[in-house]
Amino acid sequence: MALVNPGFVDAVKQSEAFNASACMNCGVCSAVCPMGIELLPRKLFRYVLLGLEEKVLENTETIYSCLLCKMCEANCPARVHIAENVRFLRSYINKKVFKL
Amino acid sequence: MSDQKRIGVYICHCGGNISDYVDVEGVLRAVQDEPGVVVAKTAMFTCSDATQQEMVRDIREQNLTGLVVASCSPKLHLFTFREVARRAGLNPYQYTQVNIREQCSWAHTGDRAGATEKAIRLVRGGIARTNFTEPLEPITIDTVPKVLVVGAGIAGLRAATGLADLGLSVLLVEKSASAGGKVAGLGKMYPHEKTGREIIARLVDEVKRRENITLFTNAELVEKSGSIGNFRVKIRLGGKQREEIEENAGCIIVATGFDTYRPREGEYGYGIDGVLTLAEYKELLDRCGGGLVRNGKPVKDIVYIYCVGSRQQAGEKPNRYCSRYCCNAAVHASIQSSEASPGIHQFHLFRDMRTYGKFETLYGRARDQGAVFVRYSESEPPAVEKGADGKLKVTVKDLLTFGEQIEIPADVVVLVTGMVPARNEALVDVLKLPVGRDGFFNEIHPKLRPVETVVDGVFICGACQGPKNSAESVASALAAVTQSASILKKGYVELEPLIASVDPGLCELCDVCAGACPYSAIERDHYQGKEVARVNEAVCKGCGGCAPVCPRNAINLKGYTDAQMESMIDAMLKEIG
Amino acid sequence: MPLPTGDTIGILADNLRMRNSVLPISAKSATSWARGLHLPRGAKTVLYTGMMYQLIPYIAAMSKAQAGIEDSFLANFVKLGRQVNKVINISAFMAMPPKSMRETYNRLLVNIALLLQRAGVQFGYLYEDELYSGALVYDLGADDVLKAHARKVYGTFQKYGVKNVITVDPHTTNMLRSVYPTLLDGYDLNVKSYLEVLVERNIEPKNRLDREVVIHDSCVYARYENVLNEQRTLLKNAGVTVKEPAYSGKFTLCCGGPAESLYPKKARARAEARVKQLKEVARNCVTMCPICYVNLQKAAGGEIELADISSYLVQAYC
Ligand SMILES: Cc1cc2nc3c(=O)[nH]c(=O)nc-3n(C[C@H](O)[C@H](O)[C@H](O)COP(=O)(O)OP(=O)(O)OC[C@H]3O[C@@H](n4cnc5c(N)ncnc54)[C@H](O)[C@@H]3O)c2cc1C
Ligand code: SF4
Ligand code: SF4
Ligand code: SF4
Repeated sequence: MALVNPGFVDAVKQSEAFNASACMNCGVCSAVCPMGIELLPRKLFRYVLLGLEEKVLENTETIYSCLLCKMCEANCPARVHIAENVRFLRSYINKKVFKL
Repeated sequence: MSDQKRIGVYICHCGGNISDYVDVEGVLRAVQDEPGVVVAKTAMFTCSDATQQEMVRDIREQNLTGLVVASCSPKLHLFTFREVARRAGLNPYQYTQVNIREQCSWAHTGDRAGATEKAIRLVRGGIARTNFTEPLEPITIDTVPKVLVVGAGIAGLRAATGLADLGLSVLLVEKSASAGGKVAGLGKMYPHEKTGREIIARLVDEVKRRENITLFTNAELVEKSGSIGNFRVKIRLGGKQREEIEENAGCIIVATGFDTYRPREGEYGYGIDGVLTLAEYKELLDRCGGGLVRNGKPVKDIVYIYCVGSRQQAGEKPNRYCSRYCCNAAVHASIQSSEASPGIHQFHLFRDMRTYGKFETLYGRARDQGAVFVRYSESEPPAVEKGADGKLKVTVKDLLTFGEQIEIPADVVVLVTGMVPARNEALVDVLKLPVGRDGFFNEIHPKLRPVETVVDGVFICGACQGPKNSAESVASALAAVTQSASILKKGYVELEPLIASVDPGLCELCDVCAGACPYSAIERDHYQGKEVARVNEAVCKGCGGCAPVCPRNAINLKGYTDAQMESMIDAMLKEIG
Repeated sequence: MPLPTGDTIGILADNLRMRNSVLPISAKSATSWARGLHLPRGAKTVLYTGMMYQLIPYIAAMSKAQAGIEDSFLANFVKLGRQVNKVINISAFMAMPPKSMRETYNRLLVNIALLLQRAGVQFGYLYEDELYSGALVYDLGADDVLKAHARKVYGTFQKYGVKNVITVDPHTTNMLRSVYPTLLDGYDLNVKSYLEVLVERNIEPKNRLDREVVIHDSCVYARYENVLNEQRTLLKNAGVTVKEPAYSGKFTLCCGGPAESLYPKKARARAEARVKQLKEVARNCVTMCPICYVNLQKAAGGEIELADISSYLVQAYC
């Protein structure tokens, strides 16, 4: 059971570019991702939107292994700013976990 | 057989549909010498223009007084060939259609001899009946330029103003103490933000400004007789002195609306403080201008649970339909909530989002504002409990993360409740309204005749027919207005004359027939000093239920008289040569 | 074993903050390519290397030194730790790349400068005042550090009165053209990649190159900066037959390079997959980003001949 933490959502949403809510969960991004990361980005965005901070942090490695190559974005039918979203999560983790 | 008819018989190949299984030429040979037959032919397609013209010519040149076409079902071409007769100057009711396609070739594809024999007998029956046909005229009824509208919700009110503007008088009957229905109780509505109160106030004002609309509140329709064009209705008025008034109306429009689904105690936590129906939540939203507050505490986290009471698959008499308005209304409520309290967190637990058509943009707006949509499975519905620190706790499996079990803290849980049919047994009984399996009223044809019922002159509109939002309710109300006006503006209606009639000389008023008639078409009359039964032509459907029960044989069905039926039986049983 | 992510990012960020580069190298190493070109110091229009080409040999050497244990150059920093790095510039201990390699990469910058001159562009160079753009730190999400750095970089341009910047690699183009404007108010630099400038100037070829090459688009040029036609136009005008691999243009497949700093093994696997696609089409392959170049080179294993696009262009146009 994962507890929803609405505060996390607020923190992440501070970035105007963070538009994960447009995601319609089609899975195209995961299919075309050259890293073959099953989690990125559709499940990851769900975790963020639901405020499941622990789930996001469990997936730190995945978040940092994204190439930011935008292959997913070029194919996303919902025009989700996937690469920007990933970058934003990195900056959140940098601050929150790595205390940078 | 007083004066022998001159009958033309045409037997159709239907391009092989019939002739592949029935020996069409054999049928021709077997019937061409039947009594009265003057012309007998086969044709590849009797319905073709060429054959129709040939028939017209034959009728004229041979002075035919009867026409028989042996082809397909009368559902397809009865009116086609009646029209052929009419064009040739023959009374359309002296035409008989014999169905040898559905009843012979299609029913007996493996038995050519049998199919052919059956066709011969049916055609002979048709010829026999035609020998006894009389010219008939449609029954014409003068219409009353007034419409009874039952129910003064948004649909009924709008129907009333529409009718009034077409110059028809309106009797608007509302059961409750005030007009407006559900919309009167709504604050801001999708899609354009006007409040329900404002919309209804405006409509009621419009109604009041029209002198040809009479609005009765606390009133009910208790009796109806007569038929399309001229119904007699009895309205019971409530209030202090209960009184009943009688009125005539040409058409009746039913706009009695729906009820909101009431969750059972404990259904998704209903009964726990903070668990509200959508209607209750809308009231709260309506009261809170500045920020959402409930019981003195700010509302910060809201969980919506969709499809409550709709799209049920299990249980006793499940509501299988989608209530249609609610996804939109919930998404709209979400937008309103975000505007009232910008920092708020909203979680929508849905099964499928049905923000169809233009309302999709509302869905997009709600998501842009940060509302989160979680898809749940009907087989694993969310659970609502009391949680710690006075909050509610909603647990649900999110299908979009592939089954993550999540727990959401909430201040308010909104049950997005659907529509259910309003309980209206008395009205159904009075109007003989057709009720569908889902409990809503049924139209004749969902695409082509969407507001007509099987009861001629009685129309349905708005949410009494099935879930509709207010725009859709109004659209169907205006369709009912058009249908009523197209009947009443003509001034008369024409009805099929193939109905029962009582020979008053023979009738002794035993009243057996009245008991047999499912449409209450048998009335009383006076004839040469005695009381007799009389068939109300406007009400009789020609079902023939009364004719065989009359001990005096006083009732005949026009077009299907005893003489006709007997001669048909004789003809059918004749040896095949 | 993946590198400890937080420490690595920390070190990179510290370096950028204190030494103006994620991987500080000496001013001499950074500017030696320009020797003999007589480029004016500063000008209204400058060629901005962003240091990417200069850094690559060091990264490669580092990777090599580490082979077998953990092939990321950053492992060096991490072993010593972030605290140590704050005091001592670890780069000082970095393996020195062979001279030949440094020359190869420097040559690419020379090519670009010659091409621009040939196209009649008047431009200068900032020499040791030129700063790294911060691309890596941006990718890793260290936004605060980046913002301060961007201000420094912009300040340098302002000091020299620069208005137009010509970039040489996609990452720097993206930083200066698309990222900086979101970080800095009043940012007014006009940024173009040299490929765009050459096409704009209608540069005419001198020699015909009858060769067949497969093109590997950079993700950043293709999907961030929409630089898709220029490289093809320049090659085709020079008589080169440009072959497209599976996944090209807007849908190019990433070389894997961006994962290098944290997950070198993953980066390697991606590069191998891309090399496989490229060699299906032609033996000669052109790249236009130093990261693509070095990462694909590692996986090429002699099966394809990689070259930076500038090496071809200089042969045809100069
Ligand atoms: C919570 C909620 C929110 C909604 N929000 C929106 C919205 O934002 N936008 C939108 O377009 N739609 C909305 N709707 C839908 C809207 O309420 C309906 O579409 C509309 O009320 C249907 O109108 P109606 O006239 O058919 O029925 P009703 O509104 O139900 O009116 C029927 C009337 O008939 C009367 N009546 C019933 N039986 C009899 C009888 N036997 N004799 C005489 N009178 C009778 C009733 O008393 C009532 O006055 C919402 C519905 C709900 C429940
Ligand atoms: S491609 Fe876009 S819409 Fe589809 S799952 Fe990925 S982010 Fe969501
Ligand atoms: S940007 Fe990241 S998630 Fe998207 S395709 Fe590239 S590596 Fe995969
Ligand atoms: S409109 Fe939406 S909430 Fe209402 S029943 Fe249909 S699917 Fe469920």
